[in-house]
Amino acid sequence: MVSVLTRMVSRALLAPTLMVAAAVLVKGYADVGDGFAAGTIAALGVLLQYVALGREHVVAALPIARAPVLAMAGLSVGVAILALPVLAGGAPLEHWPPSGDDPVYVGSVELISAFAFDVGVFALVLGAAVTIIDVVAARPAGEHP
Amino acid sequence: MGLGRRAATAAITTAAGTLLALAWGWSAGGGAVDVAWAPTWDLRLAFELDGLAALYGGLAAAVGLLVFIYASAYMPRHLDHQGRSRDEAARLHGAMVLFLVAMLGLVTAQDLILLFVFWDLTAVASWLLIGFDRQDRGARLSALMALLVTGVSAVALLVGILVLRAEYGTTNLPELLEIARPGAAVTVAGALIAVAALAKSAQVPFHFWLPRAMAAPTPVSAYLHSAAMVAAGVFLLSRVHPLLARSPELLDALLVVGLASVAVGGLLAMAADGLKRLLAYSTISQYGYVVAMLGIGGEAGAAGACFYVLAHALAKSALFMTAGTVTEATGQRGLSGVGGLGRRMPLLAAGSAAAAAAIAAFPATLGFFKDELYFKAALEHGDLVAVLAVAGAGLTFAYMARFWCGIFLGQARGGEPAAVERRLVWPVCVLGGLGVIGGVIVSPFADLARDAAVVTNGAPAELSVAYHLDARAENLMALAAYATGAALLAGRRLLAAPLAFVERISDRVGPERAYGVALRGLNRASDRLHQLEVRDLRARVAAVIVPGALLVALAVALTPTAGAYVVGAVPAADTPLVVALAVCALAAAAVTTVRGHLALVLALSGVGFALATTYSLVGAPDVALVAVLIETIFALLFVGVFALLPRDALRASVARRTTGSKRVRDPVIAVGSGLVTTLVVWGALSRPLPAEPTAQRQFEAVDAAHGKDVVTVILADFRGLDTLVEITVVAVAMLAVTALLRARTGRW
Repeated sequence: MVSVLTRMVSRALLAPTLMVAAAVLVKGYADVGDGFAAGTIAALGVLLQYVALGREHVVAALPIARAPVLAMAGLSVGVAILALPVLAGGAPLEHWPPSGDDPVYVGSVELISAFAFDVGVFALVLGAAVTIIDVVAARPAGEHP
Repeated sequence: MGLGRRAATAAITTAAGTLLALAWGWSAGGGAVDVAWAPTWDLRLAFELDGLAALYGGLAAAVGLLVFIYASAYMPRHLDHQGRSRDEAARLHGAMVLFLVAMLGLVTAQDLILLFVFWDLTAVASWLLIGFDRQDRGARLSALMALLVTGVSAVALLVGILVLRAEYGTTNLPELLEIARPGAAVTVAGALIAVAALAKSAQVPFHFWLPRAMAAPTPVSAYLHSAAMVAAGVFLLSRVHPLLARSPELLDALLVVGLASVAVGGLLAMAADGLKRLLAYSTISQYGYVVAMLGIGGEAGAAGACFYVLAHALAKSALFMTAGTVTEATGQRGLSGVGGLGRRMPLLAAGSAAAAAAIAAFPATLGFFKDELYFKAALEHGDLVAVLAVAGAGLTFAYMARFWCGIFLGQARGGEPAAVERRLVWPVCVLGGLGVIGGVIVSPFADLARDAAVVTNGAPAELSVAYHLDARAENLMALAAYATGAALLAGRRLLAAPLAFVERISDRVGPERAYGVALRGLNRASDRLHQLEVRDLRARVAAVIVPGALLVALAVALTPTAGAYVVGAVPAADTPLVVALAVCALAAAAVTTVRGHLALVLALSGVGFALATTYSLVGAPDVALVAVLIETIFALLFVGVFALLPRDALRASVARRTTGSKRVRDPVIAVGSGLVTTLVVWGALSRPLPAEPTAQRQFEAVDAAHGKDVVTVILADFRGLDTLVEITVVAVAMLAVTALLRARTGRW
């Protein structure tokens, strides 16, 4: 049986983990990290909940069922970033705004197409990882140790 | 209208359209398409409708059209006999059209790599077609045999092409013909290409797959084994003939193989009882003629070969269809079960008589001229070949007479034949009629063959055929061949015992046996290797690291090591690095000694985190981040798995001691592969890193891409397409895992 301390610490760690993931994602374009790493960190936070608290608790507390949707949305974002420049007459995945032009800033974050692509990667990795963790954790009836 | 009938209609329309397009294209003077395919490899999608392409493409389309019509009536009956759905015919018609398309691509391709692609496509289509009756184990094995014999030999074709490319830097055939000079490279490449072609044309010693392929439904045999699949082999020889002609030894070898095939195929056809089997042996023998003529080479050889293919393909597909119709009408598959059908199926008898006469080279058929050209070429090459040519032609005469007379003359046997659709008869008459028309008005056929011969010969070629009522050598040889054939036929009771002996010998020690032995041996070796690998988890790990270590050790042994493996001084600034590496080594040593599962996982994580520290110390923070993440994932996953496993199993595995040979084997494997890894890493790090212009350019472009972290910019921007593909793989993996595990739990 998992100790109370482990359960508490695990539960408390989820929010900071997601925060770190968000930071890695947002800062990725200027600093260490990228969407893939951010997605993995976030998924690790969720995995910790599964290991420490058990599937029932996690499914009750988090929107796990939406994970496949998140993954597919991420993939769609990636494909859209690929396809939109083609529709506009450019090369696939062409950078926007073009080199030299100033991008739109939100604080110190630059809004550019590559960043949106990275967000797509993040969503896909997080969604796919959580989906796989959930199906692996859902054991068939009668297989309880 | 059922699926099968719609597919048949579509196939017939496709073949008719192809034939019209080819006729139009050829009358317009041919044409060429040349589009860049893989520019970095200098590959082009180069197609040209030249004389050779017109001949073989036209044959594939014309015979295809008639065979598809025949199949539209044959397949429903075939499927009804076996109690299968008529819709399954769609699969056959689809594969037939695929074959037609592959054949057209093959004959028009001007780039050898392109040619190879279509070559393999024909092999795949033939596999689908021969194995059409997939509930029948014999048919499946026959299909596999055809695929293996023609597919494995196709590797020789590819190697030959690459030899030419290595030597001359191009795979474009017209360019190669310009620059290739006689020499070892051309001979080796030519020999390799010839092996593939001979296997495809079912020539000795690769001939054994063709009789087996008769397991296919009759329309498949009528198409693949007259005008398409086997024709592809001699087509390839014709296509590269100017190259082959640069080494006389190759041509001599072709002549020998061709004559041997004439003899083997002819003798086995004399002995065979099955209708289709007899025709299959006949095909081996007939393409032997063509190969022999290509081996003779020169103007006469090239002209003879091209004309022969044309005359033979038309007649042979008619005979295959005859065999199918006879079997449908009487239920009999062998000569011993039929007889005297001539009066009861007069139209079929007439059509197939014309076709058989064409193959037996009767006057007033297209076939007469094929033998005239054959004799002419043989005479040019010498007396021995001329004698063998007459003997071969006599054999052909004899087995063709045996086939036709056995079915249509003599005592009526096997009861009254059932009525069959007209579509099972008139395609035979059309093809037989073409042979007779060609015997009277030969010039259109001769022109088509001449244009192909020009390509085959690589030089202008003349082809003149006509009836000459005089005592010239060709006419005398034809008469001698008829006489030989008649004598063989008259004495076939005497021949029965030796022929049966030949058949038995070829079964006992022939190449088919070698094929069987090789296949079984490979299967056993593969099974043994598999069992060795999957015996336990450690064997699986060893199966990866032992071959890996051997390969790496080989590379280390072959690489010059001057300047490597030097122990230098350690600067003070590197102390953190040394400490991190020492921790790493300690943790690794601990892994080999701890016994508890959790302790093991923690020790492994220790190795990983110490390595991550090392990465960050040598200035690779992105790699360090990934390493930390992976270590964390694995640690958590292990803990999660332990939580899922039964406690007793875990305790039992901790208590279990390694025993026996494993006590020695596992440490030896571990230490050995570790040593090799150390050697290669040490050696690689002793060298200065080569300057990478790409990396430098990417560093410089980061600013223009509005980024500051080069790794992220590469992933999300420069190589974004790769990343997209990778995340697509992740998505597919997610779907696969979900599908598999949800199916297991019975929920969805």
